[in-house]
Amino acid sequence: MKIKKLLALLLCALMVAGLFACSQAETPATEEAVGTETGTQTAEESAPAEKVQITYSYWGMPDEAASVQAAIDEFNALQDGIEVTLMSIPNEEYTTKLNTLATAGELPDCGIMNENGVLDFANKGLLADISSMYEGADSMPMDSITFKSEGTPVAYSAANEILLMYYNKDMFDAAGVEYPSASEPMSWDDFIATAKLLTLDSNGNNANSPDFDADSIVQYGCVIDNWTWQLEVWALSNGGSWFSADGKTCTINEAAAVESIQKVADLYLVEHVMPYYAGLADEGIVRSIVAGNVAMATGGAWNVGTCLATAKDEQGLNYGVARLPYMKNEVTICTGGPQVVFSQSKHPAEAMEFIKWYNQEENNWDSLIATGIWMPILEKYYTDESMTHKWVDNPNFPDYDSYKAAVVDYALEKAVSTCWYYTPHTNEFITYLRSVLGPVWTGEQTAQQAIDDAYPALNDILLGN
Amino acid sequence: MIILKRKPKIRNELLRKEGRTAYLLLIPAFIGLVFITYLPLCAVFGLSLFKWEGIGAPAWAGMANYVRLFTKDPYFFDSIKATVLYALVTVAGGMVWSLVIALLLNRKIPARGFFRAVFYLPYVLPAMAVYLGWNWLYETNYGLFNFLLSQIGVHKAMFIGSSKGVIPSLAVIAVWLSGNLIVIFLAGLQNVPRIYHEAAEIDGANSWQRFWHVTIPSMSPIIFYNLLMSLIVNMQVVTPALALTNGGPGNSSCFMSYLMYLYAFRNSKISYACAIAFIFFILIGIFTVILFATSKSWIFYEAGDDK
Repeated sequence: MKIKKLLALLLCALMVAGLFACSQAETPATEEAVGTETGTQTAEESAPAEKVQITYSYWGMPDEAASVQAAIDEFNALQDGIEVTLMSIPNEEYTTKLNTLATAGELPDCGIMNENGVLDFANKGLLADISSMYEGADSMPMDSITFKSEGTPVAYSAANEILLMYYNKDMFDAAGVEYPSASEPMSWDDFIATAKLLTLDSNGNNANSPDFDADSIVQYGCVIDNWTWQLEVWALSNGGSWFSADGKTCTINEAAAVESIQKVADLYLVEHVMPYYAGLADEGIVRSIVAGNVAMATGGAWNVGTCLATAKDEQGLNYGVARLPYMKNEVTICTGGPQVVFSQSKHPAEAMEFIKWYNQEENNWDSLIATGIWMPILEKYYTDESMTHKWVDNPNFPDYDSYKAAVVDYALEKAVSTCWYYTPHTNEFITYLRSVLGPVWTGEQTAQQAIDDAYPALNDILLGN
Repeated sequence: MIILKRKPKIRNELLRKEGRTAYLLLIPAFIGLVFITYLPLCAVFGLSLFKWEGIGAPAWAGMANYVRLFTKDPYFFDSIKATVLYALVTVAGGMVWSLVIALLLNRKIPARGFFRAVFYLPYVLPAMAVYLGWNWLYETNYGLFNFLLSQIGVHKAMFIGSSKGVIPSLAVIAVWLSGNLIVIFLAGLQNVPRIYHEAAEIDGANSWQRFWHVTIPSMSPIIFYNLLMSLIVNMQVVTPALALTNGGPGNSSCFMSYLMYLYAFRNSKISYACAIAFIFFILIGIFTVILFATSKSWIFYEAGDDK
């Protein structure tokens, strides 16, 4: 009996403790969601009455939010006119939450957004015109990373990211093949020829050898990442496009665009120089260059910081960077997560001032730029060599000359905007395109068949039907 | 006569009292059902008749969402096909596998507790870890399964990388994960009355005959329960599409729950997703009704006329 009583007591105690823990856990979350009420109050008490209150929304885990909060605290301490509060929303419900807030007319003043949602928001009249953000500044963000709705700038990316090619120097050395040039990209034919020399079967035969066994490949010559949005660059490279320049017509069914998709698929299907990728995940460089089974692979500039620096240090990966091979035109595409000012804001000027300050390279220097994850957005980092040295001369990067030629100059000279900078509904478009291209990668359909079948639906998506 | 008349009156009163208590006790469950299930269901149907993208006021659209679903949607029919196919393969595979394993675990084998834990363990593992692990096993170019196949001279199989292979491959994972069915079967097996087995043994039935004519009929309510639960759970599948395949290759694993998620939370087409949800509800309803309708002919309740 005593034991039973004790057990009952213990259970009660556990329940109370559980309740207490729950309420403890909930409190900060609610506070975060509504904008740290207590923080605001203290600010109100200590700040002069005219201090303008603005809210900045951000997604991410609590530890990420902590670093954002630190930046906000710094901004709040720097000046007397504006007090920023952080509205932290879990990533998976970010868009839904913003939609709800928009309906209620309670959007924050500014916030981070997904690239592919910016123009959808702008078309609904929810984003402010930010063309005056950099008035009088010594350097502007590059035009290629400016989101434009009907020609009006509505957001700048917080980072610039371009697609480029990475290669494994040791594999080139072992095959006795010259490294790709950092400044002179390979033609598509040269690229395939090089990839064949670097594709080896289990007996060490390369893809040119008559004894080559395509079923026992142990090292592949190349990977063209077929994670769907990245394929747009090949349409441009082949002289085609996915959309007209004004973003109002879908041109993916034109011959050059279709052919570019087929050329990428043929690397696996016909040439046997690329492993099979179903195009369902974004992991090109990790599965290729970092995994150490592919000689050349395309991917975003962020890979230098997200995985290659670690692979270099820990696995001794000896990699180099080069420009993308080209079909007809030398081109790459650029992108980067944007910061926006919402049109419901009562203080757009202050919101712009904060975003401009927040986007400064200096604020992200140690965590994102010096690590190689972000490329700067201001033009001066690309045009003024002393600034370029400040950015690139550090041990996380490949050697200065090759990175300057293959990434910095390439971004300045050849990078054009990814489609979501000038056309809406790209999220839905790319999701559907991914499903359409599935049978193309396996060879069940040609690119022509797949695009012809899907074109009406793709066009409908663009038109918002 | 008087006595005869009075008796039913008392009984009626008692019944009424009992009925009142029963209704009173049912209220909490009823409230829960209404507010958590039926009202949201009505709301989903109501919303599906509007055009609403999460912003502004919903605009009346009538049956437009349903018309688009059945005439223009590029995923919808593939999605139904993928969902039904996956559910059928997984339920069939899962039932046979779990019953066989439960039968083996019900025997007096050495280290029985250990084996029971081994087969139950996958069920309690975190889903993301499970799918990531299987992703490596299935990997087309360097995966373990393909390595083993290459050792015996078989060419590469694409598994989840091909539209034909993806559903069977995902079904294998689901079957492997069905530890909960095993536990329920095991409990059912232990409740099969010994007396019937003994009677059958005396009549000279061999072990297969005993399994087929004693174990299976005695287990039929458990089999029905597992069948129903497994069907509903597997029709609502979404994790493998989120974790592994993004609905691909093509639309081959674009399950209905995943399609709903895609429209509602990636593309903000909330009312359109509601239309899918409602069709999905009807689809699951049809399968459940079929299952219940056929159940009368094959479920054996020990109490005979038990309703």
